[in-house]
Amino acid sequence: MQDPRLRLLSTAVLSLAAFASTTGAVAALIWWLVFTPRTKALPRPGVLLSLIAMIAVTALVSWWGGGPGVSYLVRMVAVLFLAAWAYAETEEGEMLAVAVWALGDRIGFEIGLIAEMGLTGLAVIRQDIDQIQVALALKGIRIGARSIVPIAALLIVAQIRRADEMARLLVVRGYTLGGRICPLFRTDSRDILASLSAVILGLLSCLPVRDVFILLQ
Amino acid sequence: MRVDLEDLLFSRGPFTLRGSGTFGEGVHLVSGPVGSGKSTLALLLAELSRPDSGAIRRQGITSALLLLQFPEYHITCPTVAEEAGSWGFAPDDVLARADLAGRGDTDPFHLSRGELKRLTLACTVMRNPDLLMLDEPFSSLDCAAKRKACRMIDERDEGITIIFSHERAVLPRVDTIWEMEGGTLTALGSVPGAISRWRHAPPYLAYALEQGARPENIRLSDAQEALCRTQG
Repeated sequence: MQDPRLRLLSTAVLSLAAFASTTGAVAALIWWLVFTPRTKALPRPGVLLSLIAMIAVTALVSWWGGGPGVSYLVRMVAVLFLAAWAYAETEEGEMLAVAVWALGDRIGFEIGLIAEMGLTGLAVIRQDIDQIQVALALKGIRIGARSIVPIAALLIVAQIRRADEMARLLVVRGYTLGGRICPLFRTDSRDILASLSAVILGLLSCLPVRDVFILLQ
Repeated sequence: MRVDLEDLLFSRGPFTLRGSGTFGEGVHLVSGPVGSGKSTLALLLAELSRPDSGAIRRQGITSALLLLQFPEYHITCPTVAEEAGSWGFAPDDVLARADLAGRGDTDPFHLSRGELKRLTLACTVMRNPDLLMLDEPFSSLDCAAKRKACRMIDERDEGITIIFSHERAVLPRVDTIWEMEGGTLTALGSVPGAISRWRHAPPYLAYALEQGARPENIRLSDAQEALCRTQG
């Protein structure tokens, strides 16, 4: 999907629908199968399986305690797939462009800048993890339960330091509040079809099916 | 003891690394600008990345160690003393060598990058592996710390030491110079013969060569001695 505004709208609507009900999650998964490059938009198998494993553990605990474990698993996997697709499709500057388009040069620019920095941070974390794996291998340490704390500490400290450096850089360059850009978007018919389908599926999955038939009568 | 690179080819996106040659015993300097592929070559030589084609063959090497460019990634412990211990050393020895005596209880994240670099450099050199690879060992260090790092490297009297660096001011004595540019590794040969072919030579060496001097090695003191011999 080329237009980041419609991509963000579709992701938000379908994520809410998927989170709200199992029906919404199934609808979101069907939409994901039809309108996205599917497996090409997913992260590396190791990362994907780790994320699904974390969701599965939570679902298992929920199921064990009498909660909706299976439903939780389906709903969160649907949200994960949508998020992975949206992240893979997003290009640098798009979040800033959408935020400025929606909310203007002051608040929109601020929110867009934060979103851009957050997305850049995700890419940097991935590089950090690669480097940490190398460093641990050099020390002969296997990644496991014992190494989670030092890895997490390193990632958090590194991110805080980078955020601090970025903030100082913005101040040095005279940044105070807001900024001006002229966002341009390209929209094709497939974008409109996909986002319209997402909105319809989202609405239908939020309404009880029986009520829909009553409305139609 | 040697490492052979046989028609090495590694690609990632638009970047391609190519190289052939042999790293024998002694100190090798792989120089080149930032982004030329030095760190990628270091990972390949450390067998932490795999080449797309070609091979890296180690002969007579039983241990190998790579110092990463960014020392933060090496941290696995909450104190400097424990960090030194995680490399298998008595903390006091390491801290003395890294000029960090009395800082054993400090959180490694509270050290400056230069201090952390001194710590990890001391640990890797003290391990004394057959194959020691140092990725930008002089970055983040002040001149005094760079000179101390050079002394640590000079003290290694056996094995293969490969330094990947764009440093152009403070350098150790080396046996062989290699150049990396645009992903292509070129062997310039043994020192001192290779110095005149070295395109990324530090300014003091370039000046000495311009003056007709023939430095024996690549340190500033070598250039000064050569100039003294030439100019009296």
